[in-house]
Amino acid sequence: MPARNHKQWMATPPLKPSEWVDSRIYSDPEIFEEELENIFKKVWIPVCHESELSNPYDFRTISIAREPVIVVRGSDNQVRAFLNVCPHRGMMIERRPSGSFLDGQPSGNPKRMTCMFHAWQFDMKGNCVYISREEEGYQDRLKKEDEGLRRLRCEVRFGGFVWVSLNDEIKESVEEWAAGCFDCIRGAIDTEPLEVFHYHKAIIPTNYKLWHDTNSEFYHDYMHYHNRVTGFNDEYFARKNVAFDNGHVNVNSFEVKYDEYEGFESRAELSFPTFPPNQWYMIDLFPGMNFNLRGSAYRADVVTPLAPDKVMIEFRGLGLKSDSPEDRMTRIEHHNSIWGPFGRNLHEDLIAVTGQGTAMRTGTEPRRILHGRLEDGYIHDENGVRHFYDQWGKWMNRTPSNPMKKYMAAAE
Amino acid sequence: MSTNGTQVTDAVKDTIYRSCLFLDDENWNDFLELCDQTFHYAIKAYSPEIRRDMTYFSGNKKELEVMMGILPMHNTDHSPLKRHVTVYTVDVEKDGENATAVTSLVVYQSMYDGINSHIDAGENHLFLIGKYIDKFRMDGDRARLIDREVRLDTRRLDKGSHYII
Repeated sequence: MPARNHKQWMATPPLKPSEWVDSRIYSDPEIFEEELENIFKKVWIPVCHESELSNPYDFRTISIAREPVIVVRGSDNQVRAFLNVCPHRGMMIERRPSGSFLDGQPSGNPKRMTCMFHAWQFDMKGNCVYISREEEGYQDRLKKEDEGLRRLRCEVRFGGFVWVSLNDEIKESVEEWAAGCFDCIRGAIDTEPLEVFHYHKAIIPTNYKLWHDTNSEFYHDYMHYHNRVTGFNDEYFARKNVAFDNGHVNVNSFEVKYDEYEGFESRAELSFPTFPPNQWYMIDLFPGMNFNLRGSAYRADVVTPLAPDKVMIEFRGLGLKSDSPEDRMTRIEHHNSIWGPFGRNLHEDLIAVTGQGTAMRTGTEPRRILHGRLEDGYIHDENGVRHFYDQWGKWMNRTPSNPMKKYMAAAE
Repeated sequence: MSTNGTQVTDAVKDTIYRSCLFLDDENWNDFLELCDQTFHYAIKAYSPEIRRDMTYFSGNKKELEVMMGILPMHNTDHSPLKRHVTVYTVDVEKDGENATAVTSLVVYQSMYDGINSHIDAGENHLFLIGKYIDKFRMDGDRARLIDREVRLDTRRLDKGSHYII
């Protein structure tokens, strides 16, 4: 068929409704707000790695669905999470990205989280331990014992990531939520402690799901010269996308031929415990997290949706805490040559999702975005994307191919 | 400063400014001509988030040569990077043969692709700020780069780049 007129262009594709989505799911402000409420405020989010707060009284600040969150390590070495909001006047308590409460602050004492505004102080368990001029102002009407921080569900799991949920009623543990999708790399990430060596972030004018879609389909390896020359062989095409409960997917491994890329060498000499050399497993976790164990480096992406057409992606690289300086440097070089901000592949991925975001801005006409490749689950099958959207439809009670309709089972 | 010291300082500044012009023009070969065979390059930044010094990119002369040669095989943002630098300090060692320089660095991206080239092309936007921390060895009357550390203050690099800074 030659280039299509508008009616032809907008016609229903010759695929099942579960094999495409309506682009309004990437651009509609109302859908975006629902996603924050119905999904991001309800599920487990990996917010940082425990090595970012390695000592008692260390903290990290982050946000989930616009809510400011603080993660602290107590004197008992326990990692806890709270809303980073003072119960007094709603001020954000800690403004720095990270640090230690061992040092005193202008408004407060050491070993306390202090709201600079009126000097209310909290301990590492979230108890309010000091209200300035408490009795004079509140008499016996309000006591510090009742003014603790808002605690959040928090677990450290899967290679030391700190998982937080805003949902007190969440029924599943992180282990149950992951539904087995980490089993393929369990030995590699949980045999001994990991440590973050890389962090950078990108704010990209695109919808968060377009980033997750890209992580969930390998068909886009055609875009990556590096992956074509180090990958496209029989073993690559024998990889499978495997679906797990809760919308998660992982991708089977194969041996990457790094030395096929000019200037690169085999990465077989450095790996992770129990992990065969030069292998590459990938886990896509609903609703937008990606864990990527590739030879000698482990990468984790976390999305923070900011608007229908704006997402922050945080990129971390990890090695073993026990790494020698030489091994650590090798891991850093391997990680960044592909995945760093000046690496070969990440730049290409981000250009692609930026282009999608531009073409699907709020107000552009609804388009059909296809993920209908069927290859028995093998690597260029888009079953991972379909699995994600079936889960998305359930959480949103919307049909991805027609988001103005309620979710239909399997969206068929 | 001795006459020799002044000559070395001038040679160092000349190499730094020329390096920027060559990099601005994506003239990788002429940039590498300014570098000693032992040249090592790295882009580094400190992350307050993870409280660690990070190396975002590194390579020796041969690795950079190969990488730049292979760039046409990659999809990339076509927006050129343009450097604005001021050499702050040049410290010449007593032997008069080696020197270290600290240079303030601002890199603008001249948008060509942009987000939507129809709208963004032609705009310049700030890509990053930082410093060059360079080491030199004299080769006759020329100062050759033996080490360049690009020390970034910017850590939010959005799409990033395939180009060295």
